[in-house]
Amino acid sequence: MDTTTTPRPALSFGEAAQMKVREHERAFPVPAGTRSVPPGTTTAATAIELAETPTYYGLPMLKEPVWIGAVPLYFWLGGAAGASSTLSLMARIFGGRALDPLARRARLLGAVGDVVGAGLLTYDLGRPSRFYNMLRVFNPRSPMSVGSWVLSGSGAANTGALLLQNRRGFLGALGDLAGGVGGLLGMPLAGYTAVLLSNTAVPVWNLGRRSLPLLFMASGVASAGSLLCLGATSERERAAAERYAIAGKVGELAATAALHLEVRRASPRAAQPLTRGLSGALLTAATVLTATSLVGSLTSGRSRRRARNAAMLGAVGSLLLRFAVHHAGKQSARDPRASFSSQRRALSGQGMTSRASST
Amino acid sequence: MEPRRRVGFFTDTTVCIGCKACEVACKQWNQLPDDGLVFTGLSYDNTAHLGASSWRHVAFIEREKPLESQTTGLGAFSWIFHSDVCKHCQRPGCLENCPTGAIIRTEFDTIYVQPDVCNGCGYCVAGCPFGVIDRRDDDGRAWKCTLCYDRLKMDLEPACAKACPTDSILFGELDELHIKAETRLKQLHAQGVSEARLYGPELDGVDGTNAIFLLVDEPEVYNLPPAPVVPQKTQADAWRSVAVGAAAMALLAVGTILSARGRR
Repeated sequence: MDTTTTPRPALSFGEAAQMKVREHERAFPVPAGTRSVPPGTTTAATAIELAETPTYYGLPMLKEPVWIGAVPLYFWLGGAAGASSTLSLMARIFGGRALDPLARRARLLGAVGDVVGAGLLTYDLGRPSRFYNMLRVFNPRSPMSVGSWVLSGSGAANTGALLLQNRRGFLGALGDLAGGVGGLLGMPLAGYTAVLLSNTAVPVWNLGRRSLPLLFMASGVASAGSLLCLGATSERERAAAERYAIAGKVGELAATAALHLEVRRASPRAAQPLTRGLSGALLTAATVLTATSLVGSLTSGRSRRRARNAAMLGAVGSLLLRFAVHHAGKQSARDPRASFSSQRRALSGQGMTSRASST
Repeated sequence: MEPRRRVGFFTDTTVCIGCKACEVACKQWNQLPDDGLVFTGLSYDNTAHLGASSWRHVAFIEREKPLESQTTGLGAFSWIFHSDVCKHCQRPGCLENCPTGAIIRTEFDTIYVQPDVCNGCGYCVAGCPFGVIDRRDDDGRAWKCTLCYDRLKMDLEPACAKACPTDSILFGELDELHIKAETRLKQLHAQGVSEARLYGPELDGVDGTNAIFLLVDEPEVYNLPPAPVVPQKTQADAWRSVAVGAAAMALLAVGTILSARGRR
C-alpha cells in the first residue's frame, strides 16, 4: 500500500513522543507544587522571615530526590559490606589461623552485601533493564559512576575470593588476591555513598559534605561489627567483632554531632531537617539506639545475651541513620529557603563552608 | 571538541505578557504528554514548575508590592511574568552527575539527555541546582528542555522562541544575546527601571549559563537560586573525608585483629 496516501492521525517524531504515560492519578498523585508547605511556616518568627525573604509562593525550588527506600537500605548494606571486607583482609594478613573463621564470615558478609546491594540499586532505577549502562562509561566527576565501578569491582572480587577460599596453589593465590582487592575496595565502598549524597544541590547533604563520609564509614564499621558479632561462633571471634563495632559506634556518635554542627554553621535553616519532622525523629532515634548499643556493649561483660542485644541495637541504629539522612535530603529539597538562605550567606561571606564558587 | 555554534536563550521578563504560548509550543512540538489537569490557585500558574513533561514554565508573580518604576491606579500592586527554562549551564550539575553518559553537550553548546541511554538513576535530578530536570515515574527516564535539538539541526529556532508573540524569548548566538541583554538592561535603567538585572552570565558557581534572563526583582521571587553552585566544585571536600575515613578504618581493622589475636 502506498503510505503517502494513507491518512495518519499524527507523526510521532517529537523528542518526547515515545515517553511512556500511565493515568495521571498514578503519575501525579498530588502535584509536587501543592504537596508541601515549607517546614515551620505557621510560626510568628517565620511569618516575619516570610515577609523578608521572598519565595515563589513557597513552592520548592529544587526537585525532590526520586530515590526510594531501596537506596538507604543499600547505603547501610554497602557500608557494612565494605567495612566487613576490610576487616576480612586484615584478619587474613594479621590474624593467623585462630581468626580464620572471622575472616571467612566477614568475607561472606562482604560478598552478600555487594550482590544484594547491586540488586537494590537496580530495583531503584527508572529503567532497571538498562542497569548495565552504569558501566557504559567511567565518569570520575560523578560519585555514582565511581561507586558503580567500586561496587562492581568489590562484588566480583569478594565473590571470587569466596568461591576460591578453599583452593590451594594458583587458584588459592588468585582467591587471596581477590580478597585483597575486595578488602581495599571496602573502604571507598563504605564512604562513596556519602560523597554521592553530598555531591548534589540538596542543601542539608551538600553542606554536611565533610562529616557525612566519616559518619557513613563509622556507621559501616558499627554495622559490620554488629552483624559479625551476631554471627560469631567463638568467643574470640565475638570479642573481635564487638571491638570493631564499639569503635564504629563511638565514631558514629561523634560524626552525627559533627554533621549537626557543620550544617548548622553553614545555614541554620538548612539544618532544620536534622532536628525536625520525620527525618529529625529518625535521626534522634538512630542516635539513641546507637548510644544505648554502645553502653550495652561496654557493660555486657561476659553476658552473651547482652552482647547480642547490643549488636542488634547497633545494626538497627545505623540502618535508621541511613533512612534519617535520606529523608532529611527530601525534606531539605522541599524547602526553598534552605537553598536561598545558605546561598545568600555564602554570597555575603558568612557561610564558612559554602564559599565554593571560586574553586 | 569545540562546539560548532554556541546558542542560547535571552528571556526578557519585562516584555512577557504571560500568554503561555511558549509552554504550548514546546508541548506541541516535542509531543510532550500532559502532566495532570491541576488547579493550583497560584495566580494564573497551573504548571507550577519545570518538570519532566513541562520544559517551559511561565511564572506569574502577582503581589501587593509595586515595582519602583511603575504607577498603578489600584494601590500597591504588581504582576510580573517569567518564562523559565533549562539554563543549559556551562558546568551542568545534571551532565556531570550522569553515570551513564546519557547527558551530553551538543555541537550547539546545549545540554541534551539521550532517551535511548538514560536508565533513570535519578542522580541528575538531585544534581541540578536549579531544580529543572526531573524523572517521570511512569516513563522512568529523566527529561528536560533539549533547546529543540531536532529543530536546531534543521536550522530552525526553538519552538518557544518561534511562538513568542512579544519576543520576550529571544534565541540566537550566545555572544549576540549577551550584547542584546546588556543593551536592553541599559535601556531599562535609562527609563528608570532601576530594579532590572541580568541573571545567568554572572552565575560563577555554574560558570555562567546559555539561557539568560532579565529580571526586575531578586531571583528568589522567580524561584531562581541566587547563587547556584555545581556540586562538583565542592566534591573534593567529601573525598578528602573519605580518605581520612579510609585510613581510620584500616587502622581500626588492624587494631581489632591484633588485639583479638593477643587474647586468650
